[in-house]
Amino acid sequence: MLYFTDKQTQLADIFSRYPHTEQGRRSALMPLLREVQNALGHVPEENIAEIAALIGSTATEVKSVMSFYSTYHTTPTGKWHLQVCATLSCAIAGSDELWDYLVDELGIGAGEVTPDGLFSIQKVECLGSCGTAPMIQVSDVGFSECITRRKMRTQLEQLRAGANYLPDTVVPVFIQDGQQLNALEQKIGGKYSELEPLKF
Amino acid sequence: MKVTVDGRTIEVPTGTSAIDAVFAAGLDVPYFCSQPYLSPIGACRMCLVEAGSPRKGPDGTLILDEKTGQPKIFWFPKPQASCTLMASEGMVIVSQSASVKKAQAGMMEFTLINHPLDCPTCDKGGACELQDRAYEYGYGDSRFEFDRRHADKHYNLSENVVLDQERCIHCKRCVRYFEEVPGEEVLDFIERGSYTFIDSAEEGLPSNFSGNITDICPVGALLDNVSRFRGRNWEYDHTATVCTACSVGCSITVDARNGQLERIQGRENYQVNQTWLCDGGRFGHTWLRHERITTPMIREGGTRAGAWVPATWDEAIRLIRGKLGEISSKNIGLYSHADITLEEGLALERFAAQLGTDSVDHAPRYSSASTLVPPTLLEVSQADFVLVLGADVHEEAPVLALRLEEMLKGGLLPARYEHGTAIADLRMPERVVRQRHKLVVFSSKSNLLHGKAGLAAEISGASALHDLLAGSAAFADIFKSLEAAQKPIVILGAEVACLGRAVLQEAETLVQKYNAKLLVLPAASNSSGLSHLQLVPRGKGSSLQAMQVGAALVSRLEQVPADFAGFLMVHDTHLTEAATRADVFLPAVSSYEKRGTFINLEGRALTLRGAAIDAGESVDLMGVIGALGDALNLKPEIRGVRSAQREFQKRLNIDLSSLPDEGQIINWSGTSSAATFSAATSSVHSSVTTMWKPNMLRGKNVVPQQARELFVGGDD
Repeated sequence: MLYFTDKQTQLADIFSRYPHTEQGRRSALMPLLREVQNALGHVPEENIAEIAALIGSTATEVKSVMSFYSTYHTTPTGKWHLQVCATLSCAIAGSDELWDYLVDELGIGAGEVTPDGLFSIQKVECLGSCGTAPMIQVSDVGFSECITRRKMRTQLEQLRAGANYLPDTVVPVFIQDGQQLNALEQKIGGKYSELEPLKF
Repeated sequence: MKVTVDGRTIEVPTGTSAIDAVFAAGLDVPYFCSQPYLSPIGACRMCLVEAGSPRKGPDGTLILDEKTGQPKIFWFPKPQASCTLMASEGMVIVSQSASVKKAQAGMMEFTLINHPLDCPTCDKGGACELQDRAYEYGYGDSRFEFDRRHADKHYNLSENVVLDQERCIHCKRCVRYFEEVPGEEVLDFIERGSYTFIDSAEEGLPSNFSGNITDICPVGALLDNVSRFRGRNWEYDHTATVCTACSVGCSITVDARNGQLERIQGRENYQVNQTWLCDGGRFGHTWLRHERITTPMIREGGTRAGAWVPATWDEAIRLIRGKLGEISSKNIGLYSHADITLEEGLALERFAAQLGTDSVDHAPRYSSASTLVPPTLLEVSQADFVLVLGADVHEEAPVLALRLEEMLKGGLLPARYEHGTAIADLRMPERVVRQRHKLVVFSSKSNLLHGKAGLAAEISGASALHDLLAGSAAFADIFKSLEAAQKPIVILGAEVACLGRAVLQEAETLVQKYNAKLLVLPAASNSSGLSHLQLVPRGKGSSLQAMQVGAALVSRLEQVPADFAGFLMVHDTHLTEAATRADVFLPAVSSYEKRGTFINLEGRALTLRGAAIDAGESVDLMGVIGALGDALNLKPEIRGVRSAQREFQKRLNIDLSSLPDEGQIINWSGTSSAATFSAATSSVHSSVTTMWKPNMLRGKNVVPQQARELFVGGDD
């Protein structure tokens, strides 16, 4: 199913952020991928081809970019996508054990989703919170840090019960109308439209 | 600009990279990622050197060393990748010191960490850059004691190219090649870090030029699947010759083993193909091997219904003598494919004159050829406006499409030094913006070039030409571009060229109006050369379509008219449709086995050399003419390459026996050969055969359906 067919205004908005040239169109690749993934949880093959056609490139190029970043998924993800940091500090602090626990507890491996559609798991490289190892990132919401077996179990139970995820640290990710927000929609910094040129 | 490399001060042009400065000084550094004709990126880090340069003080003068009074050299703190380092005035480069060797050996150790030790079973073994460089620059040992990366070893990227992911050292040559040379991004890195591998999401590498990545791969990761496991590199007999599959005339190396053609690789010719080949020319050679006939054959019982029986040449000649004795020599037709060498063409021309026959022809051939001097391929790549009319360039002259891509990139060519083409020309960046407004394509069927042009439409080339000449208002932008252009070029393809003199005249008028150059894509590989010989029929009945003769020699043409009832001698490599109707079959050598000269579409004479292929009793056209002469008790004027070349020495004042490796543009003006009955003036069109050999193009992407239809169907 094509994603952007009925979203022409949104598409025009994304392309308007880049120069109206052949190269400029290609720059829209990442936001387009993000758009599809936010909606579908992953980017299916047909949408890869769709995006390639939109930016005037090939599916190979799109896949190359997608596979470079661990944040883009070609397989479906659960409502809560648990990304386990497996780089040095976390590995020393027990991320392998944490991973095994998640595999046992959820009964899934990498690239799979639990039957209830709630969870998927992935090993990722350093998420930049080495001081609080081991840690995981849950979807795009935030970090759970200094994880112990009990803490992980409690969190999984809460999420299964339908509770909202409460991160230890919130990931600053979204920009809307030039204003960066964190995952709890709190403002971070100023808005670019409010910026003024420096006066000398 | 003076640069000092290991104590040798040399003069190099501005813009030279440090790696070229080292090679210009006669020294060597190892490299994997750099490739002439591709942008340098410094991916492999093998070409490390120590470098430093003098610096100017605030007063604008060079800072001097207090002790020596000489300009002080400010060294880079660490070894630098010389392929991405621009040499500068007074730069000092150290490429042979112990510390440089250590740095290079260290990089080699890294490169070899994940490289499998399967050289004994690897097709690249013996011709592998990594193998050579590891021997020359490596430690010969590894300190890495953990598990190596394991990946897919037999991964078919396409029918013709197979990838061994374990062997890949991530030099990125193939990925850059696809983006920069054919402009088709069908291959890229997937994943990152030590998990990186190359892959394509497109089914079967949809490119007409995918085979080139097997040539430039510095390791055995990308291999030619057609010649895979057919021989080791040291067993092949390498022959440097020219591809005659189309009229571009790419330089190739033909590799034969035990008398059999096994592999074709690209060879450098800066003027023609750089180092690239099309997939048809590279992989299409297997047609020759299958069911080839290498002895003369005659019919059992002497009738056409009889089965073929192998014969000796003497028996065949005796049979021909018996049959031709009853026929007037004026009534003998001589017909050949238009891929014969210039020497064979001359022999044919002279022999037809000796027989006094009007029935001589070569096919495929357009009824008329342009007498304007065509642009060279380098001029195409440096043109500032190109108008393509009625051509499917990817089918008719594939490598020309690469020169058009180069034109879209701005026509930047790598510098040339005494040691060869620049290994790393820093003026060549990655991902160049294509200046698509410089290319306009009109042809009735959409082809690959349509997607690359700034303006393209599916209208017939001839009607577009007509409207252009009439000054149609719809083409206002094109007129503006043509007028503004300094070096415009018009390319005519089969669709227009097969329409005859009147349309060609229109094209000539158009290019003269805008001071442009006209490139008519020849119908067959040597059409350009043969058009200057008297090799066309002099009456309707003597044409290849009519063939109203008592006896005919047909050399490597697939069909003869259905109503032809005379004595038929077929000279071919295989039992074609024409051969099934023949009275005598004479075995032919292929262009890979011939010696001689070939004229490509720009009028460049290129030398063919015979590869070490076992062709049995096969002979070229000159050999057949000799046999015919024998049968008719005639001594042909031209009996071999040497006597033909002596004749060309007289006609053209050029020694074809010692052409430079890059070939030489031939100036035909003022030759007596541009006489009445050359292809330039003939009104009869020969289109019985195709340009490509049957099955020449195996891959589904490269079947020249369109070109085939045009040549077969374009009769007048």
